[in-house]
Amino acid sequence: MEGTPPTAVISTRGLTKHYGSVEALTSLTLEVNRGEIYGFLGPNGAGKSTMIRTLLGFLHATSGGATVLGMDIALDSVEIRRLTGYLPGGISLYDSLTGEQVLDYLVDLQGREPRRRAELCDRLELPGSVLRRKVRDYSRGMRQKIGVVQALQHDPELAILDEPTEGLDPLMQHAFYRILDDLRREGRTVFFSSHVLSEVERLCDRVAIIRAGRLMAIHDVGELLARRRRRVMLRWRGTPDLSALPGLEDVQVDGNRVIGMLSGEVAGFVRAIASPSLEDLTIEPASLEEAFLEYYAPAEDAEKAT
Amino acid sequence: MSGRLLRQTLRWQRVRLIVILVAGIAWGVLIPIIYGAFSEVFRDLVDSGAFPRELMNFGSGSLFTLPGAVTLGLQHPLAIAMVAIFAVGASATAVAGERASGTLEVLLARPISRLTLYASILGALLLAVLLVLGAILGGMIGGSVLQGITDEIDLGQMPLVLLNGFGLWAAFTTFGLAASVSFDRPGPAIGVSLAYLLANYFLEILGSLWPDAAWTQDYSLFHHFNPGQILTGELQAIDLVIVFVAALVPMIFAIVIFPRRDLAAPA
Repeated sequence: MEGTPPTAVISTRGLTKHYGSVEALTSLTLEVNRGEIYGFLGPNGAGKSTMIRTLLGFLHATSGGATVLGMDIALDSVEIRRLTGYLPGGISLYDSLTGEQVLDYLVDLQGREPRRRAELCDRLELPGSVLRRKVRDYSRGMRQKIGVVQALQHDPELAILDEPTEGLDPLMQHAFYRILDDLRREGRTVFFSSHVLSEVERLCDRVAIIRAGRLMAIHDVGELLARRRRRVMLRWRGTPDLSALPGLEDVQVDGNRVIGMLSGEVAGFVRAIASPSLEDLTIEPASLEEAFLEYYAPAEDAEKAT
Repeated sequence: MSGRLLRQTLRWQRVRLIVILVAGIAWGVLIPIIYGAFSEVFRDLVDSGAFPRELMNFGSGSLFTLPGAVTLGLQHPLAIAMVAIFAVGASATAVAGERASGTLEVLLARPISRLTLYASILGALLLAVLLVLGAILGGMIGGSVLQGITDEIDLGQMPLVLLNGFGLWAAFTTFGLAASVSFDRPGPAIGVSLAYLLANYFLEILGSLWPDAAWTQDYSLFHHFNPGQILTGELQAIDLVIVFVAALVPMIFAIVIFPRRDLAAPA
């Protein structure tokens, strides 16, 4: 490749994959930019893995096309995989090898130096004593850690991770999130599928939501969070004054307690309700859950949502 | 072909290969010893009419001559089983097994084309087959030396025996690997490959035991590997052509099919 590298690290145009009459992916068009952590969300069977496997050449598109790192997935699959790190969902490893042998074997086939291995093993708490044990003796979480290391050890330009925190304990999940934060800082691109909303919220710059093989929406996570409604709970001394609650919707009054959903700016709302008779105020963090659940809902509800 | 993949494939088979090589040498040594010790007894039995000659033959082999004994040694179920461990068992499970266990996608996430993967596995398995055949033939030469009967065979023809035998077993190996790249689970791949081997073997043995069914032998690949004929300087070039064409056809099938297959997520 010559000249400036393309901004879009992954670019799909009407990507479609059908198995006979089953529409696994239908006309999927999206772009993932360089240096972005891009979440790919959808319920089980939505087509997330199909999309990833098509990008990596395991599946052949029925129609449409895609480029990864500026290369065509149908023509340059081997070169794409040279520059990519991939963690399959529910990874399987060679049970008869030790963790270290698996990592050596796979990085050798990758044809690149395992520049990040030591750091990753350290951060994911995989000491030499663990790496020297046979994979068959590993727990699911340990296998997943090895999976993460094998995907990232050669410092790929693009990491494609299929449900990467599956099987990791909360501590290791956070260690993994910090690894992804560092990758983002270094300008690496991460495309990962998940159905864990909190981790998408925590990590992603943008998110695409897929359902039944169709792209339902693409959102900027920051904007989505800013626009989301927050659950607010207020308690007054005496009877609450409902006229001074700007932006509060779905209000429910229970004695001296008011519960509602706040949209828009928090600061203006807080200024407006400031009063000596206000006894307690709780504003829950904005969550993406509500937004995503609209897309996860049955077809007719989802159509209304779009 | 990837040298790393080839080496690793051989490494997976390492223990099995060592055991089979030792067994192959032992079996090979035993054949000339059995021939030396019992050929006269068998000949007398047949000449006396107490035992039908057909039952003293096995496939194209017999115990009446050393070349016949070499043929028998290579067509005996024990020798078949030794080579088939790699030509059928290992080849049929090579790709389908990795596919079923989920490791195939970890492997193919590397910059390796499916053709490279196929060629590397095939290369390793053919090498294993060649080594096992070499061990059995080497054992036979050793046994003949021990018995002092090397003058009964033309040792200079042994490379041709190896070549013909390799062609025969390459046909079963490429068939097994073609089945392996066509199925998602090793069970059906092993079943189809084993059925192919047994059908060929059945046709050959049936024809040798029942003169009226001798025509069935022409349809068996085993019939196109006759070490006895080669050792007496009567190699039929057509036999070589048939076994190598039989090896080539599944190879072409696999080369066409494997890269075009969709590898969906393992169930």
